[in-house]
Amino acid sequence: MGIKVVPRYGSSFKDKTYLWAVFTGMKVTLKKFTTNLSDTTCIPTCEYPEVQPADITDRYRGMHRLTHRDDDSVRCVACFMCATACPADCIFIEAEERLDSVDEKQPKRFDIDLLECIFCGYCVEACPCDAIRMDTGIFSIVAKERKNFVLNKEQLLKNRGAFGQENSLA
Amino acid sequence: MHIFMIIFPIILTVLFTLVTIPLLVWMERRVAALIQDRLGPNRCNIKGIRLGGIVQPFADMLKLLFKEEFYPKHVKQRIYYILAPGIVFASSFLSFMVIPYADTITLNDYTYQIQALPIELGVLWVFAFAGLGVYGIIIAGWSSHNKYSILGALRASSQVISYEIAMGLAIVSMLITYGSISLNEMVRFQGELLFGFIPAWGIVLQPLAGLIFIVTAFAETNRAPFDAAEGESEIVAGYHTEYSAMKFALFFMGEYIAMSAASALIVTIFFGGYQIPWLNTETMHSQMHLIIMALMAIIPLLSLGFIMWMRHNNSCDISRRRETHFATLFISGFVITLEALFLYLLISGLNTQLSSVFTMVLQILSFAIKVMLMNFIFVWVRWTFPRFRYDQTQHLGWRILLPLSLLNIFITAIVVVVLGV
Repeated sequence: MGIKVVPRYGSSFKDKTYLWAVFTGMKVTLKKFTTNLSDTTCIPTCEYPEVQPADITDRYRGMHRLTHRDDDSVRCVACFMCATACPADCIFIEAEERLDSVDEKQPKRFDIDLLECIFCGYCVEACPCDAIRMDTGIFSIVAKERKNFVLNKEQLLKNRGAFGQENSLA
Repeated sequence: MHIFMIIFPIILTVLFTLVTIPLLVWMERRVAALIQDRLGPNRCNIKGIRLGGIVQPFADMLKLLFKEEFYPKHVKQRIYYILAPGIVFASSFLSFMVIPYADTITLNDYTYQIQALPIELGVLWVFAFAGLGVYGIIIAGWSSHNKYSILGALRASSQVISYEIAMGLAIVSMLITYGSISLNEMVRFQGELLFGFIPAWGIVLQPLAGLIFIVTAFAETNRAPFDAAEGESEIVAGYHTEYSAMKFALFFMGEYIAMSAASALIVTIFFGGYQIPWLNTETMHSQMHLIIMALMAIIPLLSLGFIMWMRHNNSCDISRRRETHFATLFISGFVITLEALFLYLLISGLNTQLSSVFTMVLQILSFAIKVMLMNFIFVWVRWTFPRFRYDQTQHLGWRILLPLSLLNIFITAIVVVVLGV
């Protein structure tokens, strides 16, 4: 094992006056300033409300949605797995019997309180039949009243996936 | 006319202090943003006119004006609590009063000094009021009855004892060089030429004193890298933690006026004040025709460059394209009016009175440009360097700057005695 000798700076007179380092630092910031001032288009800032971000990946956890079966009915079977997994307790489900012989159960009420939600994605992981997803790509959630932040089943069903895979894979 | 010429420098002082605050806040935020690869505030507008976001500080100021006056219950000495921001604001405001904006001008047999307070004390007045500003900070920290505030006040007082001596001594060597304490005399001295081609600016004659003075001026205005008194990462906001609304705004504005005043003082003592390099007042009087012709050539070129820059950088959507269009029209109209005025002056011939007024305007402009450049350096330094710990400030003040400034005085005195100037 050789010993690597790390050069120590700061002992020479030039380093001790600090002036050289001071002017080098100021040169760096001035160069940044002048290049950005002469051409503001090279600044990576996106002018947000006019320019929407184009780099949202398909793994981005946006607003939730309830997926559909191939016949466009709700995929959820009201098993309460997502509500159990939810660390923020923001999913409220009421089950009812499903009478159209596609399945046995379906949610009568499926509410998600987006003010409580922490967007962890555990509900998506917990779901056994791929019925809840967060692939809508909606990252900006706005409402004027508190109660409008609670999404009900119809609103969740209306949300569509932004990255293909419209219906449930299960 | 007589009364106007007496009030005129006071108006200029108000312009240089109160009106530059929004400009400086805007400059600070935009320069910081551009240095850090951001854009900074640019969305505030009045009917689509953004002016690069310069409306933002006015909106901020309005917001602070209309906020609730809130007094914390635990503040016992309310008089001191209210007085402190006033002291900070007033002292930095008053230190601007003795800065000369232009050479003395003779109109109708009266001689006017373009200085809000035409006294010969100069430097002494500035130091008296610049030193008083720290009392406001200390009183604010003490009367707030809050541990962070008192720590901020403690840091401010430890800082003031470490830089003021070096600052005073750096000035002493300048006083020996100029042989006067009047700022007007100092600036007149800097209008001469060294060896016939270098402007005899203070920074050329005394580079060491200039460096020491600039460093201590940064410490005196409580700005980065010497802003330990309000170090927000350690002690919340330092001495103004308990202040809100307009009382906070007074601290905030006081800081920017102090920055402007320090810039003005640095420019006056070390960068030739209102002097335009190679053109002192007498030369300008005699060469007025040439100067006007040079201005007629330079101003359209500069505004053309600005318009091209604006068209390139301010046309990413419809509202900005419209704004750019209006600004282009406005600037071209302004330039054409200016050119017409110059042409009229050239054709009608200049009498001495008009020529001296024109000289004064040019000198005030030169001073304003220099002060803004110095302010830019203040901002630039703030966004480049990390904060000094307050024992490091003391180390710098007592063990490096103080011996250096003493040495500088000795050398200056020896040179002055030997040369017999």
